Amino acid sequence: MKQFTFEAKQKNFLIATMGLGLLCLVLSYFLEPEQIAAAGVHARFWSNFLVNAVFFTGMAFMITFVIAAFTVAYAGWYVIFKRIWEAFSLFLIPGLVMMVIIGIAVYAHLNHLYHWSDTEAVAGDRVLTGKASFLNKNWYLFGTLIIVGAWIFFARKFRQLSLQEDASGKEVANYGIHRNLRKYAAVFLPIAAFTGPAMVWQWVMSLDAHWYSTLFAWYSMTSWWLGACALTIMLVIYLKSKGYLEQVTKEHLHDLGKFMFAFSIFWTYCWFSQYMLIWYTNNGEETVYFFQRKNDFPVLFFGNLVINFVLPFLILMRNTTKRRFGTLFFTAALVFVGHWFDYFYMIKPGVLNTAVEAMAHGKEGGHEAAGHAVEHASSFVAGFTIPGLLELGIFLGFTAFFIYFVFNQLSKAPLIPQNDPYLEESLHHEVQAYE
Amino acid sequence: MKGQHKEVLFGLYDDEVVLMNAIKKAKKQHLDIMDVYSPFPIHGLDTVLELEESRLHVVGFVFGMLGTLTALIGMSWIFGGSLLFEGDWPTNFGGKPYWSLPAFVPIIFELTVLFCAIGMTVVFYIICGLGFGVNNPVLDDRITDDKFCLAFQTNNMDSSSVDNLKGFFKATGAEEVHSRTI
Repeated sequence: MKQFTFEAKQKNFLIATMGLGLLCLVLSYFLEPEQIAAAGVHARFWSNFLVNAVFFTGMAFMITFVIAAFTVAYAGWYVIFKRIWEAFSLFLIPGLVMMVIIGIAVYAHLNHLYHWSDTEAVAGDRVLTGKASFLNKNWYLFGTLIIVGAWIFFARKFRQLSLQEDASGKEVANYGIHRNLRKYAAVFLPIAAFTGPAMVWQWVMSLDAHWYSTLFAWYSMTSWWLGACALTIMLVIYLKSKGYLEQVTKEHLHDLGKFMFAFSIFWTYCWFSQYMLIWYTNNGEETVYFFQRKNDFPVLFFGNLVINFVLPFLILMRNTTKRRFGTLFFTAALVFVGHWFDYFYMIKPGVLNTAVEAMAHGKEGGHEAAGHAVEHASSFVAGFTIPGLLELGIFLGFTAFFIYFVFNQLSKAPLIPQNDPYLEESLHHEVQAYE
Repeated sequence: MKGQHKEVLFGLYDDEVVLMNAIKKAKKQHLDIMDVYSPFPIHGLDTVLELEESRLHVVGFVFGMLGTLTALIGMSWIFGGSLLFEGDWPTNFGGKPYWSLPAFVPIIFELTVLFCAIGMTVVFYIICGLGFGVNNPVLDDRITDDKFCLAFQTNNMDSSSVDNLKGFFKATGAEEVHSRTI
């Protein structure tokens, strides 16, 4: 089957899941954990929105980056399922809307996710004053608009050229459209390399406004790519089970599995490099980040390593596990949830700190309440210490939204890019493995 | 088969595609191929020759684990502070506990890679019969340059079977056919 049809059954299921997610999101607005309820900042709602908005937008960004990298590198094997990645990359458009909602809320002080957005706190703080030229509401809102806008321009261009190639590719002499695509991809790579970290510093790292790490962007962007890679594997296997993409064989999935395996190790390398240097140097202002996470959020801290390193490493080590759809699907599901969990781990403790600090200058009995909250912050905080049921519901809802968007895009174009110059290579892709 | 000489009949091909077709034909006729020599790895050759998967990676895993354990036990023995060892030479680095896993991880990683690499190389040399002082006969020097070779062992073979093999080489497009005792 060359044309994907988005069936009503799938639509209904995905819309129902989105409804569940929306319900959980609304509920989390009202079910603020008691320890920080006095701050009145709805930290649980905003942080849940931020975790998912950042995770899914970032996956779309990394896939745009990977399309560009593969195009520039003359890679051919992925062409057969390229449409799925093009659909992923276009999710940058709803992603921008979500990030702008957060940006506007930061701008208008409707939320209190970021300590640096609190002008009163920044004025009395040498570190935050020094960072104010980057960590400010203008940079956050307009930086997001301009940078993600540029990403969308390239994602749409890649898609547009690919569709154009589909319609008229062989008539254009000397693969002109593909050469054009390669030029755009080459321009996008350095732009993505500089703007991607800038965005992830703004969106995620600045939650712990005093803290910084030069490895942070490597680590968090790898996390995005792994989430997207795992979701690709799951969607390809699903689409195959529905009778689409029959030319995608286990050879292609083996290579996707290898990507997931290798980048899980790379992710751990980044994670550990960041951790060990800070642990060894033991500078108070840096160590506090891990100290708090390890002691107050042990499930997040250790769970993150088990689910994102130990399990994929041990499961995917052998050839055979990467070539069996059942095992591969299971591991991909694990890694996908694992990297959402990773963003949860990066974001939640920082938001909790900001909420606790916000209570210090709340109007009624601020300082006393804040002291109380700090005591309680080390105990269990619903929706922060571990992902609760509401958080899982929201995650499912956003996943359904992402998949709905991807399927909708898939149904708009033929599944196989029939005039891509590398299609033939992709059809004959073989990795020569024993089973 | 030490001490025993091998009589080898081999054909030299100019092109790996011709060689691959010849191997497929030989397999179909149930001829007992001794070995195939090529100046470079040929895609799909293993499958056509019906070779079993190499177990070298198991060796790699075992040696890697050995490296991991060596590093872990070695450092535990030096620094102590763990359940098993008292500590042969406990040293204070930056006020960290004597036995601190994060500081050990790079060394564990390095020894794992080192043991794995050296172990695999040595085992690979042994199973290939290579090493110091070993003199392996080469059927034809051009095999290492631009010729592709298919070899049959002809010990205890009557002349009609040998002629049959020669006919096979001719039919499959071998440029030259030689026999040698090695």
